[in-house]
Formats: sequence, C-alpha cells, structure tokens
Amino acid sequence: MLEDPYRWVEAVRNRREYLEDQLKNASPVVAVRYIDGILLLTTTPGPRKVFEIYNQISFASIGHPADIEKLRKLLIDVAHIEGFNLSASDVNLSRLVNFGIAPIIKEAFDDLIRSPYLARALLAELDPVNDGHSFYTVDPDGNFEGSNDFAAIGSDCSIKSIKSYLRRYNAESSFISAFDLALRAWACGRFAVDDKSVGEELSDEDISSFLRQQIHGYRIECGVLERQAPTTSKFRLISIDEMKVIIKEAGSF
Amino acid sequence: MDSCDFLDLLREKGNLPDEVSLVNSAEKFQSIEGTTILAIRYRDGVLVAGDRRATMGNVVVYDRAEKVIPIDDDSVLAISGSPAIAYEIARMLEMSVQYYRRSQLQDLSLDGKLRSLSRLLRQNLPMAMQGVGAVIPIYALFDRSEDIGKIFFYDLLGATFESVDFCTTGSGSHIIRGALYYANRWGDVPLAKMDDKMALETIVKMLETAAEYDTATGGYNSTSLIYPTVMRVRTDGISKVSEEELKSILG
Repeated sequence: MLEDPYRWVEAVRNRREYLEDQLKNASPVVAVRYIDGILLLTTTPGPRKVFEIYNQISFASIGHPADIEKLRKLLIDVAHIEGFNLSASDVNLSRLVNFGIAPIIKEAFDDLIRSPYLARALLAELDPVNDGHSFYTVDPDGNFEGSNDFAAIGSDCSIKSIKSYLRRYNAESSFISAFDLALRAWACGRFAVDDKSVGEELSDEDISSFLRQQIHGYRIECGVLERQAPTTSKFRLISIDEMKVIIKEAGSF
Repeated sequence: MDSCDFLDLLREKGNLPDEVSLVNSAEKFQSIEGTTILAIRYRDGVLVAGDRRATMGNVVVYDRAEKVIPIDDDSVLAISGSPAIAYEIARMLEMSVQYYRRSQLQDLSLDGKLRSLSRLLRQNLPMAMQGVGAVIPIYALFDRSEDIGKIFFYDLLGATFESVDFCTTGSGSHIIRGALYYANRWGDVPLAKMDDKMALETIVKMLETAAEYDTATGGYNSTSLIYPTVMRVRTDGISKVSEEELKSILG
C-alpha cells in the first residue's frame, strides 16, 4: 500500500499524530541559562530524565524510557569516539545534533515498517564555540531547532505555555532564581496539559497553588552544567538533600 | 546488553589502532624515555611526583614533559617509559573511566580501574618486548569506601601490585628507593604520619636526589622555572601543587 504516494503521506501523518498523542501527557523539561551555567529541570515519577553526555554537554528527554536510553547511548558513543580520535574541544553540540542524533531519528521516522523513536530530546552545551546554540530540541521526526537562552520539551501546548512564561527570563540571574523560574515554567507546561492556558496568563498564586497540589508523588530532577566546576566534566545532578535546601531557599511553593 | 567497555566500542567502530606484532628492528630505533616517578602515602592521602625530562639515549629531548596525569576526580597516573605509548595509555584509561561513568550512570569501581589499566599494559606487550614502548606506571587513587589513598604499580605484563607506603619507578628509582625506605623506617616521622608540608618536602627532595645521580631524570631549574609535577590525591579530590609551593621548598 505504501507505493501509493497518497497512502505514504497519510501513513506519515498518522505516525506524527500517534507520536504527539503518546507524548502529550509527558512531564515537560525546562532548560535555562543562568549566570554561572545552565540548568535543566523536570519532574519524574520514576526513571531518570536528565543525563551527562560529555564534558560540557547534557541531554534530557521525554518519551519511552527504552528509546531515551538508545538515544542517550548513541550520543555518548559518538561524543566519546570523536573526543578520542580528535580532541575533547572538537566535541560540540551542533555537530552531535546535525550529524549524530537528528539523521538517525529522521531515518527511523521515515521507515514506516519500523517503530519510530518515541522521544523528544533537549540538549544543552555550556559556552558553545563558533556562535553555536546553547540548546537544541529534537522532535520525533528528526526536526531540530536551536536556541540560546532557554528551551523546553513536552507536548506542543506545554512548550507553548512554558515559552510564554519564560519571557521573564534573565541570563544574569542566580542559580536559585533560575531554579525558581524553571520550576514555575515547568508548572505552566504541566498545567497546559489539562487546561490550555498559556504561561503568561497564569498568576504567581495560580502557579504556586498548582505546584503545591501537583508536586507530591513526583521527584524534581535538576542537572546543571557549571562553568566554575574544577573538573573536566561540568555536569552535576543535584542530590536529593541539596534539592531540599534549594526548594526552601527558592520558596517556589 | 551493549558493552560498557570503551575499548570494545573503539574496536567495534574500527577506531582501535591495530596491535603491533613483533618485528626485528629494535636495534635501529632509539625510543624516548628516562624518568623518575614516585608516590608516597601520607596522613591526608597520596602525593605523586614526576620529573619533567624526556631523553633519547644521552640526549635530552624535552625538559617540560608532564608525567603525572589526572585520570578522574579520584585518581592520577604517573608514567615512566616511552612517552608516546604512556600518554596513549593514560588517555585511553581516562576515556574508559569517563565512558563507563556516563554510559552506566555509576562510577567504575577501584578494581575495574585497576583491571582496565592492566589490560592496556598487556596489549602493549609486543612493543615493550621490542624495547621501544615499555611503560611502567604508578596509579594512585583515593579509595572512598575505605577513606584512604592507595598506590598501585604494574609490571610489563600488566600484573597489579599495591604498595603500602611508597613506590618509585623509572631510571632514577633505584637511587632513591633505599632513601625512601630509610626515611620511612628510621626517619623522625614515618611517611604515613607526615602532614602535607612534610610529605611534600620529602617527595620533592627525593626527586632532586634522583636527578643528582641519574642523567635521565631532570632536576628543578630556577632559571627556566622548570619544577617537577606534584599532585595531591586526597578526599577533596585531585589537585596540582603550585609552583609557588615548590619554589618555597626548592628555593
């Protein structure tokens, strides 16, 4: 049936709808730059969603855990082979996305007799060189988009809501302020899953109230790429104990 | 399940250099070598030091070689022997440890690190047997499960040995081994009880002693500001001893 061009287009459309439907309830991931680095934040009831890929590169994804794992492994393999054959400074996010992950996701999406990657990915790089983007998001059809100040993944309506809230973003903010902003942006994205309101329409009290109701049963996961880290690897996952202190200090809810 | 071994990944992707087979050409080739490296266990962890000289026969090739290389947040590798091979082994070990941590979401165990280095040395056996690529490293790390610093050394075949108080290898090592034993056995304070300042003074002075009697070991040069490389391996991680600190000891 796929020899018929119309049927092929229909099959692709079905695939796109299926993927969007599967991802619509996912807990969004929000990433923002702050004065000392980059912060990636989400919540999860179970499997981890924010990871280290290379010295200055991190990865977060929503979707099926097995597909997330395949993509994570793929990125780590490509980055480490490049770093070994050339040098660590030759491993950058732009090349990883353009020549590494995006073509493979697109290939799986186009192959109609195979299962596509049920995942939407967000990648971040600390201080990219050659005017590269700090963030890339990659859709399940392989389409990708770069940005410099903040990025988010989730369902289409979640992303819209988060981006509208992140207009309050300030790259010079402290880690605590950036954490509070990212958590509130996440709440806007999560709120939009059930209610189509966008972030800018929600009051601070609406968001705090939503966070108080929704956050129980979830684990807040936050990874940072810290410019001042004394080690080669700049990534660090915030520990549970540290998270308690940060939440208290940020006073987000 | 995919392999979590970086060497397997390189092999699978065709990026691992072919193993060198034995050839009968060692007589025509003179490799760059000559070194003294040493490590001592003291109160706070381990100090690891290496001179900066690389020689080829009686020729000094380079006087700023770095022979103490950080592998991860808890360990350093000091290298003696052929620099080309030694640097490659250090790089491969560093990448293997990082790759494991990132892909498996947990740190490689102490035994895993020791075994990885052992495999790399064993793979180098053909080069070592030809007399052009022998590498005898010292691997020092901080064991967080026991909260102490540990020192390991290897033979050419990759056998691993743990050193209790101190370890030294390289062309100048035989000159200071006795002195280290004496300092540890009959000195005012045994190495393991020395504080940071005493241990640093001891290790730097031992290296200077080796340089005095071994032409392949470089001493410090105050005119060119060439100081040995010394690293601390402690509970707070890896840190390099600054030139100012070394200058205060060596004058």
